[in-house]
Amino acid sequence: MRVTQRAVVLTSLQGLNSNLSAVSKLQQQLTSGTQISRPSDSPTGTNTSLITRQAISGNGQYTRNISDGQTFLDATDSALQDMLSQVRRVRDLTVQALNGGAQSAQSQQAIATEVAGIRESMLGQANQVVQGRPLFGGVTAGNKAYDASGAYVGVGGTGGIAVQPLTRRVSPVETIRVDLTGPEAFGDPASGKDLFSVVNAVVAHVGDTAALSDDLKDLDGVINGMLASAADVGTRSARMQTAGTVNTSTALNLKTQLSDTEDIDLPKTIMELQMQRNGYQAALQATAQVIQPTLLDFLK
Amino acid sequence: MTGTFSGLNTARTALWAQQRAMDVTGQNIANINTVGYSRQRAELQSLGGTAVAATYAVNNNVGEGVSADKVTRIRDAFLESRAQLETATTASLTVADTTLGQIEDAFREPSDTGIQAQLSDMWNAWGDLHQNSTNPGPRSEVLERTQTLVSGIRTTRAALDQQWGSNFDGLQTLVQDVNATATSIADLNDSIRRATAAGLPSNELADKRDTLVLKLSEQIGATATPADGGGVTVSVGGTTLVSGASALTLKMVGSSDPDDLGTNPPRIMTDPGSTLVRPGGTAEGQLTAMTATIPQYRNAIDSMAKNLALTLNTAHEAGYDQDGNQGGALLDDGTGDPTKITAANLTLAVTDGRKLAASTLSPAAAGGSPSGDSTNADSIFQLSLSTTGTDATYRKMIVGLGVQAQTATSRVSSQSVISAQVDASRESVSGVNIDEEMSNLLQYQHAYAAAGQLVSTINDMLDTLINMVR
Repeated sequence: MRVTQRAVVLTSLQGLNSNLSAVSKLQQQLTSGTQISRPSDSPTGTNTSLITRQAISGNGQYTRNISDGQTFLDATDSALQDMLSQVRRVRDLTVQALNGGAQSAQSQQAIATEVAGIRESMLGQANQVVQGRPLFGGVTAGNKAYDASGAYVGVGGTGGIAVQPLTRRVSPVETIRVDLTGPEAFGDPASGKDLFSVVNAVVAHVGDTAALSDDLKDLDGVINGMLASAADVGTRSARMQTAGTVNTSTALNLKTQLSDTEDIDLPKTIMELQMQRNGYQAALQATAQVIQPTLLDFLK
Repeated sequence: MTGTFSGLNTARTALWAQQRAMDVTGQNIANINTVGYSRQRAELQSLGGTAVAATYAVNNNVGEGVSADKVTRIRDAFLESRAQLETATTASLTVADTTLGQIEDAFREPSDTGIQAQLSDMWNAWGDLHQNSTNPGPRSEVLERTQTLVSGIRTTRAALDQQWGSNFDGLQTLVQDVNATATSIADLNDSIRRATAAGLPSNELADKRDTLVLKLSEQIGATATPADGGGVTVSVGGTTLVSGASALTLKMVGSSDPDDLGTNPPRIMTDPGSTLVRPGGTAEGQLTAMTATIPQYRNAIDSMAKNLALTLNTAHEAGYDQDGNQGGALLDDGTGDPTKITAANLTLAVTDGRKLAASTLSPAAAGGSPSGDSTNADSIFQLSLSTTGTDATYRKMIVGLGVQAQTATSRVSSQSVISAQVDASRESVSGVNIDEEMSNLLQYQHAYAAAGQLVSTINDMLDTLINMVR
């Protein structure tokens, strides 16, 4: 085949160009640290990358949900524990009042006052607010679960309104309930046997042994209910903790997967770049030597 | 018998022919780097005596020297037409590749700022609202995130429209350029015909014309066939563009609005006659971009916007807002009509955070007043997990785009190898080789010297002859 200087120049140029573009591609990968900077770099990789990115974002949301739900559950648990110890004190005082046939009017009065005081304190506990939401108010839009008189003003659990649970989504397929409505924890106010009505009755019945012993029975019922609720909250808190562990390991897995898909293999890319650069230099050298000589160099 | 001085005449034609051959070599060397130049060769031809016998004129001459009248252009017609085809294909594929590359740029995926990330942020804002629906913070977060997503979708759509518009402008300019080039080819055809008729050399004109034809091949996929008088007939997709000294004008017709694609798409027609022309080359690439590639992704993002609005609105309307009213449309087309939504007019219809319907519990079911329930926010968050939802559809589109762009890139790179090979083959036929020219130069130089020697020998011979009679 007849070869001309221009053809040599053209083909050399084409070779140099493709070499240089390979170098530039590798350099771009090295400087950006990612293999996929546009979908066409790797369509399947892009698919994995998009799915993983979405999963990471969703997982981050679950992380926030879990830590928020944990806060809510912890607050509910500690409120219940505090109230339980206070209810026990009420029970002690009630028993004391029951056994106080010989007690003076003053000491009966003192018991009534103390119980009334404890009731106020428990009302305060029951109206605890976390993130603008009363812990025991169900899905109420207001900021109180019980009003000053001890009547339930939350939503759900009484008066024919079903409990609408407050949940936190902890994974794509799982939600965990984080709240406990007042009626569930302290008894249904409609029955008149809820915590605050019973304690109210105790205050009113100090001195009346017969009524007081009925109240004691009711109080025991309320305490049992509260204990069961505390156990329920504890179980949910444990579930939340497990979900948190799973969430953390999922986050780690997803990060690894994204990194595997998108990030460059540094040693490999550096080696490739070095090889490509050597090739490029060799091509430059060869081009410089091939294009130079013609017959002209050898004519006198 | 030969004439006494006929030897001198032979030597003279030799001197003249070798000089002319050296001139041609000089022209070749001078144009070694000229694009489109075809090397030339002086056709040396020996001159003989008359071969027709006559009664009283008997000629037994040895010949009367050499002539170098004809200078031919060395060119392979087959390779030239191959080059025209391959150049057109390369140009068309290059435009297709560039178009898809620009579409990829418009979607800027995968990244932390693309539509996918904005979608995720929006869903997460609903997740936050599910956590805390009585607080105004998460409510305004949902509004801001949705607004960002809406802007993201609109920006991408605007980028596609802009790309379409620049293709339209580009094609318009290209058609004007094609018309100018076609006129030049017709003029050159005419000049070449006149030169040929007058027996004048027209090699350089022909080179110039062939370069223009190749330019037309690249621009609009023109092919050329030889015609009478050294001219060429240039045709585009079956329509004759240049015939002899006359050129047809092309015009671009069609609406500059991509929405009119169905009724009045951009197309190229002949100016008198309005016959549809099917171009190749860059024009074909740009027409395909305007009528197929860009509209495909424009429609995809439009229907994505519409589906997003539809699913979000349906879910939103199932809930109740903070004031206990049933949720309204979350997204519309800016005039309150959710059925006319495109990616260009997608608008966030809710501006007040209180109007976000996070609650599933109606006020009636909650005892007469609005509740603080946020289950509907979770239902909306769960839309992000759907395998047929907006996220999945969008992902499918991006992966499809990646495959299409990758195919286009590999096609254009293999096509450029073919094109480069054809160019190299053409160059190997038509190009100038310095070694060859130098050896030719030596050859002609020696022949010239030898012819000079012949003159001096004949001179000596004549000297001897004349001195004989003294």
